Amino acid sequence: MSPLVNQFAEFLHDLQQLERAALSSHGSLIFDAFAKYTPYDVSAVYLRDVRGLALRLAAKSDACLAPEVLEGEIESASPTLDPEPRHLIPIRTIRDHFGLVALNGDAASEEDLQMLHAAGAFAGSVLNNHRLAQEMREGDFQLKYRLWELESLYDIGLSIAGTLNIDALADEILFRMISLINARRAALFLRDGDKFRVYRSFGDTRSDFLDDEITDRVVAAGEALTFEDASECIFPGCIATVAVPIKGNNAVIGVLAAGDRETREGDVGAFEANELRLLSLFANQVAIALENARLHKEALEKQAMQRELDLAATIQRDILPKSIPTVEGIELAALARPAKQVGGDYHAFFQREGTLTTIVADVSGKSMPAALLVSAFHAAVQLLFAEGRELGDIATELNRHIHSWSAENKFITMIMITIDPEAETIQFVNAGHNPCYVLTANHMEQLRSHGLPIGILGTSKYMTQTRPFAAGSAVVLYSDGINEAENIGGDEWGNEAFEELLVRSAGNTAVGLRDAIAAAVDAFVGEAPQKDDQTLVIARSAS
Amino acid sequence: MTEELRVAVDRKANGAVLYTKGYINNVGGEEIANRAYELMDDNVRTLLLNLRDTKIVNSIGISILIEIIEKMIDKGGSIAFCCLTPVIHKTFQIMGLANYAKIFDSEDTALKELGL
Repeated sequence: MSPLVNQFAEFLHDLQQLERAALSSHGSLIFDAFAKYTPYDVSAVYLRDVRGLALRLAAKSDACLAPEVLEGEIESASPTLDPEPRHLIPIRTIRDHFGLVALNGDAASEEDLQMLHAAGAFAGSVLNNHRLAQEMREGDFQLKYRLWELESLYDIGLSIAGTLNIDALADEILFRMISLINARRAALFLRDGDKFRVYRSFGDTRSDFLDDEITDRVVAAGEALTFEDASECIFPGCIATVAVPIKGNNAVIGVLAAGDRETREGDVGAFEANELRLLSLFANQVAIALENARLHKEALEKQAMQRELDLAATIQRDILPKSIPTVEGIELAALARPAKQVGGDYHAFFQREGTLTTIVADVSGKSMPAALLVSAFHAAVQLLFAEGRELGDIATELNRHIHSWSAENKFITMIMITIDPEAETIQFVNAGHNPCYVLTANHMEQLRSHGLPIGILGTSKYMTQTRPFAAGSAVVLYSDGINEAENIGGDEWGNEAFEELLVRSAGNTAVGLRDAIAAAVDAFVGEAPQKDDQTLVIARSAS
Repeated sequence: MTEELRVAVDRKANGAVLYTKGYINNVGGEEIANRAYELMDDNVRTLLLNLRDTKIVNSIGISILIEIIEKMIDKGGSIAFCCLTPVIHKTFQIMGLANYAKIFDSEDTALKELGL
């Protein structure tokens, strides 16, 4: 009796191991089983390629010269092997053909031949089970993968919509996109003027900006596009690229791009319809998230700006005089009304040896830069007056200091006056400021500017001017927020109305004059918002 | 950010810990598989994968991880994961990895539970 019959159970047992073994080891398992349990020499084992119809060499003996691939259908395959096989045992089920085993040696008896074919059929059946199990696993995996895609899209919506930090958001977007479409590279481009600049990338990009041609095509398409012909335009070395516009409320606000989709077989390939659909859905979620982040950032910037304005207002409030000084022989009144947006009006009073000096100044610009310049101006003024210098010298030194300290486009208009009640004189320096008015019983004189504003030209020098200032005279200093106050129609109150009021009210006390001017300005402005700081300083010499 | 995955191995008395850094995709997954199979050939039967520096895993990377788990189970061993990002943790649950491999929040807990 043939040993094949005696050991047939063990033979089948060994063949059964095919079911759990890896695909790559099937050839050697079959080869070993036939070599071990049959009295024949095994030349070669051919198995069907999992992806095609061809029979590929899976195992062979050292003595056999076997081609790698057998052409033709299994039914008709009659391999030309050296040595020529005496028997070809098909590995098959009724429906499917999985391969064949080529045997040499003595002619098999009819009984052995039946046993060999039975073993081949058994191996075919086991391989069929193996294939079905693989297909089930693959199907299960795909099912779970589709579920994961849906969950991911849902999660992405929740996750990125809740992320308001744009840097964290960009990372989240890239990570999610790469996972979702099995990409090797990815980049998020955000609008920068007319172009789209790389904001984040996973792997290198060809350039910091999206190629113009790609931009035009993506924006025009309005949906995910593949670029197999021009893949390298975005990612160097990529063989396939996909790009999708991120559509904001009114325009395309960014572009998502991914390169080289990985395949299960271990290489990379083009993105398929499913990935394009997923990417388009994903881009919709990203658009919402980016808009949220942008609005959040704007809100934060507004808050920061408001804090800056509040701080600037505090600085300016602290600098201005808290009260009007009492000076013998001089009645004083003042008004300081900052606009909503902090400006740069300044006024101050100094007393020295029976005289009163007052300054009204207007710093160019608004907000914190203006407040800081006012602060520097204030410090310098205080220091120079404490040194006992005369007005022209103080103005010249202030100009030199502010010119060297401040930015090129910053300057200060300023008028300084010193009233000497005993000498009945008024000294002044007007550096680019509005003229101040000197009111006497029957006359109004303007003390006009006679020099450039402070800070314009570092070498400017200012000379003190002197005029008579008889007892009972008044002087009115103001900032342009007074004479240029606007009503709701955008009309200015104007110098003419201002001067008419001054003439009419010339006999008033300093406080009365101040109140009359303020009331006239308010009546003219009406409901219009105050655009600029308003400062008034009025000094009247006792009669 | 980089595309490459780096793997570091820390051999323990009763197993090993693999630390991954980077993207677990096709290439990264194969790198992990190679290291894991070397360890299995060296009779390591308890393997902990610490993914604290991995933020992305794609479906191909997941399928390779599943193959590693199955191979280890065939050999009578076990594989566990620790320090997963919330996104990867959820991915593993949906894709079924959590059915065959334990997942721990921290490496300390994992080492203690696994007896490494």
